Amino acid sequence: MSVAQHQSGATWDLLARVAAGSGEGEEPVILRELLAFSLAGDRYAVPVERVREIVRMRQLTPVPRVPAEILGVISLRGEIVQVMDLRMRLGVEVSDSSRTSRIMVLHGDEGAVTGLLVDTVSEVLRVPEEAFRPAAAGEAEFVTDLCEHDGHFVSILSVERVLNVGS
Amino acid sequence: MASGGKGRADSKAQQEFVSEAEDILERMRDDLSAVAEATQSGDETDPDVVNRLFRSAHSLKGLSGMFGFQAMSDLAHHLEDLLDGLRMGRVQLSAAGIALFDESMGVIAAVLADPGSETVTASAEREIHAIIERIEAWNRDPTADPDAGQGGSQLPDSLLRALTEYEEHRLRESQRRGKGIYVVDVDFEIASFEEGLGEISAAIKEVGEIISTLPSPGDTPDSHIRFSLLTATQLSRADLATRLDLPEASIAVGDPPREPSEGPGSSTAESEPGEIEAPATEHATHEQTTLKSISDTVRVDIKKLDELMNLVGELSIQKGAIRRLAHKLGIDPATARAGAELEKMHRSLERKLQELQAGVLEVRMVPLRQVFDKLSRVVRRLRLDLQKEVELEIHGADTELDKLIVEELVDPLMHIVRNAFDHAIEPAGERERAGKAASGRIRIEALQRGNDVVIAVSDDGRGIDARAVLERARQRGLVPADAELTTKEALDLVFLPGLSTREAVTETSGRGVGMDVVRSNIAALGGMVDIESRTGEGTTITIILPITLAIIQALIVGVGDHRFAIPLNSVRETLLVDLSEVQRSEGRELLNLRGEPLSLRHLSEEFRLSSRNRDGKQYVVVLGMGDARMGLIVDRLEGQQDTVIKPIQGPIREVRGIAGATELGEQGAVLVLDVAALVDDLGRRGDA
Amino acid sequence: MSRILIVEDSGTMRSLLVQSLEALDPGLKIDEAQNGFEALRLLPRQPYDLIVTDINMPDINGLELVSFVKGNAQYASIPLIIVSTEGSDRDRDKGLELGADAYLVKPFDPAELHRVAADLLASRGD
Repeated sequence: MSVAQHQSGATWDLLARVAAGSGEGEEPVILRELLAFSLAGDRYAVPVERVREIVRMRQLTPVPRVPAEILGVISLRGEIVQVMDLRMRLGVEVSDSSRTSRIMVLHGDEGAVTGLLVDTVSEVLRVPEEAFRPAAAGEAEFVTDLCEHDGHFVSILSVERVLNVGS
Repeated sequence: MASGGKGRADSKAQQEFVSEAEDILERMRDDLSAVAEATQSGDETDPDVVNRLFRSAHSLKGLSGMFGFQAMSDLAHHLEDLLDGLRMGRVQLSAAGIALFDESMGVIAAVLADPGSETVTASAEREIHAIIERIEAWNRDPTADPDAGQGGSQLPDSLLRALTEYEEHRLRESQRRGKGIYVVDVDFEIASFEEGLGEISAAIKEVGEIISTLPSPGDTPDSHIRFSLLTATQLSRADLATRLDLPEASIAVGDPPREPSEGPGSSTAESEPGEIEAPATEHATHEQTTLKSISDTVRVDIKKLDELMNLVGELSIQKGAIRRLAHKLGIDPATARAGAELEKMHRSLERKLQELQAGVLEVRMVPLRQVFDKLSRVVRRLRLDLQKEVELEIHGADTELDKLIVEELVDPLMHIVRNAFDHAIEPAGERERAGKAASGRIRIEALQRGNDVVIAVSDDGRGIDARAVLERARQRGLVPADAELTTKEALDLVFLPGLSTREAVTETSGRGVGMDVVRSNIAALGGMVDIESRTGEGTTITIILPITLAIIQALIVGVGDHRFAIPLNSVRETLLVDLSEVQRSEGRELLNLRGEPLSLRHLSEEFRLSSRNRDGKQYVVVLGMGDARMGLIVDRLEGQQDTVIKPIQGPIREVRGIAGATELGEQGAVLVLDVAALVDDLGRRGDA
Repeated sequence: MSRILIVEDSGTMRSLLVQSLEALDPGLKIDEAQNGFEALRLLPRQPYDLIVTDINMPDINGLELVSFVKGNAQYASIPLIIVSTEGSDRDRDKGLELGADAYLVKPFDPAELHRVAADLLASRGD
């Protein structure tokens, strides 16, 4: 199942607005694709190219001697992949996984992948680069930028920082 | 000394016999597949293949007679006769005939699988007699040898004298068909003739047939050898010479080709009654096998390869110990130099070890062709049994997989193909009403993708109605009544055990018989199954498998809700001890193991797990690494299992005490203990 | 010491032949070829005192091999035994016509092979 199928009407509205605002003959708009998801009611996103696949919650095997945010490992077609609880990682209120919970499987370093447990995966956003606003320095540990979408802010996460648990 | 074969055959010889007979059988099956495909598509059967079949039956007859398998020898004799008729053109092969061969192969395989068993032999004999009767019935009614032509008068006598009866027949047959008959003379150095001969033979086979290869002394007999290739082809001498890049003078003409009087399509073989006319299919390309001498290969028992693999595994553990020692030395400035040296050696050892592992793995690889050929046989059989027209298309038969995986794949794939044939593909009438071709199509494609092999089985049948599947799953309480699923998720439900019964979805969706078994079989191989389907258009089932299984035997133990795997090669023994036997020294728990102190550790404490300690009794797994021993206390022993150790991917690179993980079917991932680290840690605590 | 070349594509049959001949005289040197090509390569390398060959083999059949050996001044004097599964009479006749010295039918009686081989080797020794 491709994530691109989730593209909603809202995205096209945005595109339309961008197109109308930019006018003809001006330099082309660069769009960035983001996979949006929710976490404790807030909206987050990661660059779509970092996402390998999205799977449902499945049999999780806990691993001893690891930080608490590593919930354990799952078997993904025979690959053994660590799953991280993103709520715990970001320090937001922790809750049990629900029916809409999904594991986003992200490309990490050196071909390895990591699973990230999130509440609900919603859609792929196509956002013009100009709409990005850098997150306030010092305030955000994992968020690099914010972008406005449908009247809400979407926090864009740095995959590197999120996955950098070891240090 | 006993005369006759059987008495002389010791058990080693019998083993050799069985393995050679199995080889012959496998080759016959391959060749039979090729013949069947040609028959089905109306192509001329390759005479080389038919002749090889004949030779195989002939060898099998001789071998089994020699080793006292009389019934098998009789059957092979009858098959030989039949094949002789076929290669001599006296008999035409029909689908029913091929099925007869398939059955014969099956019976022989059954005898070979258990050559010592009297019951197998007895029941096989009954079957063999039944098959022989049918062969005899068929042989009584052969199609007459179609008018044999005249012997080639212009051919050199030396050549004609060395022709076997079969080769004489091929010569007459080619003359009858109006082909040109030539003698191609080539001269090679004795030391390297095979390569040159192989090239020219291959070139001739592209345009015709080599009836006979007669060697004779070369121009300088000490160092050269000459071959006269008796060749039949439609080409003129000039064209043949151009084609082979030889001077015309080295090609002698026996008979020039007649003008082709009949078009290639008009020479239809007579159909046996009951033969099913199947339309032409795009077949798996049976690439020309190389002419490389068989003497360069050896047969190896796969168990020996497993042993080698285990050795490699053990070496990796030793390598880990060396690395730890290098670290230890590196910390102390006095030994840092030696530590660095050792670290360097460790790295080079690691590289060599990886090469060794890759080498052993490569030896285990076999092409999927053998499984796919079995599938074509099944489809041929089903075509006969169900009187349904279905074409089988095979691609990527040369894709290689670990031999063990290939063997385990037979059942699941068979199941999938049967399902597709039986349930998914609609009867011809229904297909035509839906605007589809009357004959159904099953396509099997294999390809390698990174470290995985992907096998996709698609059909163009009625497809699966995801709604119907979901509805059925709800009725059975397999999903909550309010569950909202995507089409994909609904389709995945066919893999649930409760749904995979015949009445569940067969009528509505045409699929689902035993798919749960297929999934668990594939999962046990470390693979996964996926399904895609469109109503009315067909279904694709995709299997993704690791290319190889680096298999180790593991002991599965349990602590509380947790399970762990311990590589069996580091388990010395397991004990059930009473708590009262456990003694203490400086807070460490000890056990008196036949007079030696054995340090104990609780796995629950080591990994901070809640354990369900039973009163009084404890299981102790005695681990050994070199001379060091330790006892690991666990709640349960859950048995032994063949497992594949996989690395754990993710942000945490290394977990002390965990070597990796393995998938245990439905139980998901199970962590594999790093025994070397556990033993090492115990020692370190002891030092402190 | 006598040297024998066995040409046979079946490994099992080959080891049976070797066993039988070794029983005749453990000091015999026995070379094995799996097919006609190998035999062609081995022939010029060693002086053989006896050739034992199968008929049904891929690439070059036994008759073709007999024709080569007996039609070649270098080798024509080497005695040659055909050991083949009872085939057609014509193939047997042809083999003998081409100059084979004996024809044994598989499954062969080892005693018969001994007798024939010993005779042929002895005649060569004369």
